[in-house]
Amino acid sequence: MTSLSTSAAAAPVRARPRRRRKFRWAMLTPYLFLAPALIIYLGFLVYPMLVSLYTSFFDWDGMSKTMTFIGFGNYINIFFGDEVARQALVNNIVWTLGCLIIPTGIGLLLALALNRGLRGTVVLRTLFYAPAVLPLVAVGLIWGWMYNPNFGAINLILRSIGLGRFAGGWLSGYDTAMPSAFITYVWASIGFPMILYLAGLQSIAKEYYEAARIDGANGLQQFRHVTLPGLGESHVIVLSLAVIGGFKVFDLIYTMTYGGPGRVTQVLGTWMYFQAFQYYHAGYGAALAWLIAVIILVIAIPYIRHMSKD
Amino acid sequence: MTTAPANAAPRRWQDGVLLAALILLALIWMLPVIAVISTSVRSQGDLLGGGIFSLPKKIHWENFAKAWVTGDFSTYFKNSLFVIFTKVPLGILIAALASYPLAKMKFPGNGWIFLFFLVGLAVPVQVALQPLVVMMRELGIANTLFALMPPYVAFGLPLQILVLRGFFRLVPTELIEAARVDGASEFTIFWRIMVPLSVPALAALAIIDALATWNEFLLALVLISSKDQRTVPLGLMQFQGEHSSQYTLLMAGVLISIIPVLVIFLFLQRYFVTGLTAGAVKG
Repeated sequence: MTSLSTSAAAAPVRARPRRRRKFRWAMLTPYLFLAPALIIYLGFLVYPMLVSLYTSFFDWDGMSKTMTFIGFGNYINIFFGDEVARQALVNNIVWTLGCLIIPTGIGLLLALALNRGLRGTVVLRTLFYAPAVLPLVAVGLIWGWMYNPNFGAINLILRSIGLGRFAGGWLSGYDTAMPSAFITYVWASIGFPMILYLAGLQSIAKEYYEAARIDGANGLQQFRHVTLPGLGESHVIVLSLAVIGGFKVFDLIYTMTYGGPGRVTQVLGTWMYFQAFQYYHAGYGAALAWLIAVIILVIAIPYIRHMSKD
Repeated sequence: MTTAPANAAPRRWQDGVLLAALILLALIWMLPVIAVISTSVRSQGDLLGGGIFSLPKKIHWENFAKAWVTGDFSTYFKNSLFVIFTKVPLGILIAALASYPLAKMKFPGNGWIFLFFLVGLAVPVQVALQPLVVMMRELGIANTLFALMPPYVAFGLPLQILVLRGFFRLVPTELIEAARVDGASEFTIFWRIMVPLSVPALAALAIIDALATWNEFLLALVLISSKDQRTVPLGLMQFQGEHSSQYTLLMAGVLISIIPVLVIFLFLQRYFVTGLTAGAVKG
């Protein structure tokens, strides 16, 4: 009732007979504040989203006037026709499961290590976080150079420690391209979980640890029964954002492998781009985009619910 | 930074081992950056002969000048900075305006509108790409920097509204009520009370948003095709295409494109961390 009481509080200062009209204008105030945001959000996020939902039911090249309605044809094609799309979906799922465990796990371990009040913690935190602020295009090029078959740092190191037989074209090998790209992603994405877990750890009251110690809990037991449950909120956020980020992956694959060799590193994000903007299958691209959106929205429900609770 | 269990003495040697392991890991983590620097300061001959782990025979600073000029980075920097200096203040102002009623007023639809914005956190850019291309053509701003701004603002709003609403809720309601009794308009309250009291949050969001704008690739890739309108990530990809085997020049270009972000991050790190945690953990 804030805005109503607002006008009630402000109105007596002015002439009383105007109270009613004043009251009506005041009711509009919140919407006036919201208008610019709503217009931009509806116009340039929601509207294009709906247009691409519409497009996804057509066979369309993205430019010509003729669009052929094919119902769920594009969606059926994703699951039963297009082998690359299925490969891309599998790649996305494996990649996302990796994101759920590896960068988040490393982030948690680093947060635990950096939370012990050691010297140099701030510098270390900065170094581990730094890759996360770089443009992913630059990260892709940097790691493309790291993986360079002849002059890249990785093969140079392998050769110098006598493991030269493992040296190879990391990004051009069918078996190694995807794991190599994933390692790059891990490098660039441990910062966020680390920072969030650090914030979470610092919000756990010391008394819990003292109580646990008095009860005779050892380090591991304290971790299991105090630290992990104490990080409840951090887990929701870190894991949700890891999945959302993992499913959206585009820049790194585009810059490092361009979906290759062959199509083994295609993910839905890149395959959608290739279909819509390289092969001019705009309708099919829109269906792929909506598949990504629906999966992410479903996965994000617990996160959104958590954030909207007061 | 010191919420660790405080039985310090018996842990001292363990902490030493831990610190050593952390430093080793940090060195490994910095290896790619070291490789880039080491590559960018030598001649191509020195690189192919000695490799990146040898001491450079001579420091070739001119690689940076050459990359800057041949890559036309000045155009890309100008374009990216133009987008940042228009988009970031505009977007944050719009987000702040929306966050004020969402945080401090009760009106029909408040909860639903907030939820509606929140859902945007999970919307991937891909789902709007093709229609945006058509829309920008119809608006007559296709293939210009102005085509980037509306979608950049729209996709930035969910996080910014989430964070600012959280901050605005911390402003004491009595302060607002007192201003209302004094006859202040809602806009005055927003501009004179909410905004000044939320400067740390606004600054953090501006920095995060500036970095995200500098780094954004996919929308720019699809909406911009002409050379003189490219932003830094697009220009860098173009540069890579033209100099893919001139490693020293390429890495000089990469370094040029990441130095601004690294400098901003190092100097404004404090704001950065505040903003990130505020956005993720509820106020």
